[in-house]
Amino acid sequence: MPTQSLQTYAPAVVASRRMEESVLAAFRRREASGIRALYREYGRLVYAVAHRVLGHHDLAEEAAQQTFVRAWQAADRIDVDRDPASWLATIARRVAIDVHRREARRPATALNDVPADDPALVSLPPDLDALDAVWHVRRAIDELPREEATVVRLQHLDGLTHNEISEQLGIALGTVKSRSHRAHQKLAALLGHLREVPHD
Amino acid sequence: MTDRPTNNEREELIADARGGAFDAWEAAELPLLMDILADPSTWAEPGAGLEEAIVHAVAEAEPTTKPARASAARRTPRRRRRRRLLVSALAAAAAIMAIVVATVVVTRGGTSPDYEARLTATGPAPGARGEAEITRNDAGFQTTLHAEGLPALRPGEFYQAWLKNAGGTLVPIGTFSSSEGQVTLWSGVSPKDFPTLTVTIETADNDQSSSGRRVLTGEVHAT
Repeated sequence: MPTQSLQTYAPAVVASRRMEESVLAAFRRREASGIRALYREYGRLVYAVAHRVLGHHDLAEEAAQQTFVRAWQAADRIDVDRDPASWLATIARRVAIDVHRREARRPATALNDVPADDPALVSLPPDLDALDAVWHVRRAIDELPREEATVVRLQHLDGLTHNEISEQLGIALGTVKSRSHRAHQKLAALLGHLREVPHD
Repeated sequence: MTDRPTNNEREELIADARGGAFDAWEAAELPLLMDILADPSTWAEPGAGLEEAIVHAVAEAEPTTKPARASAARRTPRRRRRRRLLVSALAAAAAIMAIVVATVVVTRGGTSPDYEARLTATGPAPGARGEAEITRNDAGFQTTLHAEGLPALRPGEFYQAWLKNAGGTLVPIGTFSSSEGQVTLWSGVSPKDFPTLTVTIETADNDQSSSGRRVLTGEVHAT
């Protein structure tokens, strides 16, 4: 795995806005403005990671809330000179896994009635290795211009072609292609670094 | 909508934009990037009220809330006894209620399903059909699927069943390899919230997203 930081390789994608030191200092002092600023910067990333693990909106929100509470309780340990992304991502991952384990324990009794070798029984633990990658990709998407992110979403999530996107959005085919190309250039810059820890 | 683009077609979008050959690390991570981009979780948005909920939660968690607990400690012994009695009574009531609920669940087990679905074929398998019965119990939702006429699988392929909600979020509920006999599947989400049941053909390729190769689909209804 490459050892260089993401910022070295993909500055356009991940050398994102860094929270101001004064905002982090406010968070460290546990001021309400600090938690709001941290949430607005990282709330969607935390939620995306939690949703990937838990696959359910309500549980993901619960995990996101716990993440920020834990961060808040440990606020005096935050380094105001560093982007808190890595720190927060680690907390989010651990909280989401804790919630997943709690939820996974619930069916244990009744599943005892099913033979252990029943081929219908499928265990789907979260892909822990992918969680940091989810964080990277979601952050890159959030930093795309809205119109480019929309095209990427329609292509990958909704499975539309360039022509279909052109019709749906009511814009020229060439515009769709150029937006798609620009967006995928930025996403391609993530490759080779998705398995690294979130940058700081 | 046309068929969902294949992974190869989606990868070409990245390859074209990349403008050059992938090195080994990039190539190794390409399927992961495709998986994440196609995952509804990546695009999911928290509710508008989450920020306020978090602000409220951290306010409750603040050390400054401790004096309130200190004042509680000043309650008289008589008030503490009354409080303990109340808590004990509530705990006993909760325990009785849990036993009643468990008894009802056990009694109902294996009798009548809570939901059912008739599954019809999609393009790749016009002769396929199926029926599903879904029963709620303390494990989640047990789905018994009877399917027939499914297309033959190639080496490395298997069937996978999913529940889907109105937003398009897919939740896998199990895999199987033959439509001979019935198949038991388990879901941790309610068919009430995820009312579409589908069966796809998947390949063991480390890509956990749906291939989009649907062979059966149907709506789940409460019985």
